[in-house]
Amino acid sequence: MPPSPCALCKVNRALILRPKDHSKLCRPCFLSTFEAEIHHTITSSRLFERGERIAIGASGGKDSTVLASVLKTLNERYDYGVELILLSIDEGIRGYRDDSLETVKRNAQQYGMPLEILGYDELYGWTMDQVVEQVGKRGNCTYCGVFRRQALDRGAAKLGVKHVVTGHNADDVAETVLMNLLRGDLPRLSRTTSIVTSTPSLSADGAGKNTNIKRSKPLKYTYEKEIVLYAHHKNLDYFSTECIYSPEAFRGSARALIKNLERVRPSAILDVVRSGEDMAKLVPGSDEGCGGVCASAVPAGEEEEGGCGSANGRSSGGEMATMEDQLSQNEAAKANGLEVEITSSKIKKSEAPLPLTVGKSRKVPKASQPRKEPKKQVMGQCKKCGYLSSQEICKACVLLEGLNKNRPKNHIEVGYEQEKDVNGATEAMKQLDVGAG
Amino acid sequence: MPGKTNTDMADQPCRRCKETAAVLVVRKEPLCRDCFIRYVHTKVIKHMESFRVRNADPNHQRKLLLALSFGASSVSLLHILDEIRKRQASKTGRTGFTLSVIYVESEGQIPDQDLLARVPEAYPDYEFDYKVPHWVFNMVPENDKLLDLVPPEARNFSSDGKLMSLLKSLNSVTARADVISTLRTRLVVEHAKASGCEGILWGDSTTRLAEKTLAETAKGRGFSLPWHVADGQSPFGIAFNYPLGDLLKKELVSYVNVVGDHLPSLVLESAPTQASMSSKNTTIDDLMKQYFESVEENFPSIVSNVVRTTGKLEATSTTTATPRCDLCSMPVSDGRFGINGWGGDQHARLDTVGTSNGTQLCYGCTRSIPQQSATTNGST
Ligand SMILES: [Zn+2]
Ligand SMILES: [Zn+2]
Ligand SMILES: [Zn+2]
Ligand SMILES: [Zn+2]
Repeated sequence: MPPSPCALCKVNRALILRPKDHSKLCRPCFLSTFEAEIHHTITSSRLFERGERIAIGASGGKDSTVLASVLKTLNERYDYGVELILLSIDEGIRGYRDDSLETVKRNAQQYGMPLEILGYDELYGWTMDQVVEQVGKRGNCTYCGVFRRQALDRGAAKLGVKHVVTGHNADDVAETVLMNLLRGDLPRLSRTTSIVTSTPSLSADGAGKNTNIKRSKPLKYTYEKEIVLYAHHKNLDYFSTECIYSPEAFRGSARALIKNLERVRPSAILDVVRSGEDMAKLVPGSDEGCGGVCASAVPAGEEEEGGCGSANGRSSGGEMATMEDQLSQNEAAKANGLEVEITSSKIKKSEAPLPLTVGKSRKVPKASQPRKEPKKQVMGQCKKCGYLSSQEICKACVLLEGLNKNRPKNHIEVGYEQEKDVNGATEAMKQLDVGAG
Repeated sequence: MPGKTNTDMADQPCRRCKETAAVLVVRKEPLCRDCFIRYVHTKVIKHMESFRVRNADPNHQRKLLLALSFGASSVSLLHILDEIRKRQASKTGRTGFTLSVIYVESEGQIPDQDLLARVPEAYPDYEFDYKVPHWVFNMVPENDKLLDLVPPEARNFSSDGKLMSLLKSLNSVTARADVISTLRTRLVVEHAKASGCEGILWGDSTTRLAEKTLAETAKGRGFSLPWHVADGQSPFGIAFNYPLGDLLKKELVSYVNVVGDHLPSLVLESAPTQASMSSKNTTIDDLMKQYFESVEENFPSIVSNVVRTTGKLEATSTTTATPRCDLCSMPVSDGRFGINGWGGDQHARLDTVGTSNGTQLCYGCTRSIPQQSATTNGST
């Protein structure tokens, strides 16, 4: 292929094929376009306010590292007048965060940003290692996922910061749109497509006073592939991990679809995001007309964390099969009027591999307890911690209750000698299942 | 393997009548032939409530257009509706509706004359028409803005030439497939109106509707989804009805075989959706078709749930004054035409004033037929 000139400056040789629109750009033009687009997102959605303190949810991974770097650059270039700090969460899994936290520490120096690392022990009174000790290896991913979802907000509240930005990119958002269509979850679809969400969360003193924690996604329209390219060409120091969890089945399925769509039509990722925004306005009861930028209308609630290293804290992988069983029981119940003829014992579990999912084969779904119809999601606040929740007590508090109930009386330090007690966890998980739909 | 006509099924009694031996398993229930046929018909009748005899004006026969593709679904639909009418006639001496059937040829799939002749033979009570997609250019009103989408040099061409040059100007197989299917819909609508039909019956199965939901989402047409899956008045000013909306594709394939008779001979064998790994030749529609074929196999209720969920979306209220997309004809509220002027785009301006050639396309259609923005011609 003969060298072609950069489509923008027409001077330099094009070295980069932009994943988003396949235009050919030189390195400087790619970098400046990348930054300009994020600047455009920030200004057109009025994400920041002068004088604001903003915590960047930093995991040391590519998304949050690029976010920190770009925000520093833009804050200086365009004088946003915001104060940026890095906020990292340490789950307390021995060895797991060592490298990524080292990366975040180096980032803090490189970008001259203050860094706060908050541990699960500080936020919840339990490290993940202690949780595993208590509940065993099997259920611990549930805990990690639920705790992680709230960790940034709880952390921000502790620091007195009212705005958290995360590294969710366009791929993550598109994935979430398709995933929620597959799961049939319109409320969540409309929540997660919004660029700004807000969570009434507990205040620093934990008195249940509402501090509005605003969450935003400045990389919402940025392609994952371009984030990788940017990190590469800027020589950014980030920690690339393979996600240790395989994604939950619906998400895995949606992710594979997004990758295939991108191959067929590069704009498809953005197009799904656009569809998601438009559909959010058609969800019954939505605040029509705010265009998805109206912060107050869209609570972050139980927003799913996407992307590697940030969530996917589930191990079962049988979500599709479980939901299939649940739905077909509902259908049968409806068809038969009164009697549910099919009992769960009669249902043969589907052991077929999930379609189009990435990653390893999945476990056979666990036996399904016939679940109740998914409750209508009405967002309120957790009675215990004040965190936004569709249940009276949020998932984290339910899990904590189970954990604390079973904490041995003589337990003072991190003890590895105590016996495993799974009961508390299973109890808690059962309660969780009901609300999970 | 459609219908799972298991051999070991033979010993099992039908779960419903508990008498006859089951011939297949439907959503975990072993059913006999008759109970299966009743199951399918019941699902269809639910969508045809408003066309019962008691709702019919004795002096006026209501006519509905059935869009036939010679796939298992639409062939089944034709047969089922014919059965329903026969039953209405035998019970009451009247029928609640009559049908008109249209087949719009799909690209590279010209059915032989034999097959075309078999429809009026098997269903002599109904009008049957055969059309090719490009005829839509002759069927829309002369001033329809659809005609402005044809490249200027081809405006005087025959309809065939118009379509060819329009397709040639598009940059991907996805775009071409998208434009053709949109034109097909518009043609069916035009034909329905011209032939005095008060509604259109689409032969989309649940599976197909789920495909459509995700495909249209992927093409940026989330805004128009409510009009693509649910029964009711469409923005075209004519009612759309999806009588097979609660039946899986595989159930309809089974139906054709279970009913047997002349039905299998009416189904045009479609090429299996290949996992054509060359993305150059794969369309978004192919991708979703392939995806839901596999989901349907193990998670049929999830397929139905996607459709049910989409059906809960509330269409934006529109009036005849709401501006329409020149290609798909869907109302675009707030005049959000084109791909500019939203968060995911760098141009702050909306294309409310239209493009350089005065056309107005919705977001999704602009992806298929990229427009020269009026302002990028002048200043940026
Ligand atoms: Zn350049
Ligand atoms: Zn709580
Ligand atoms: Zn029977
Ligand atoms: Zn359109």
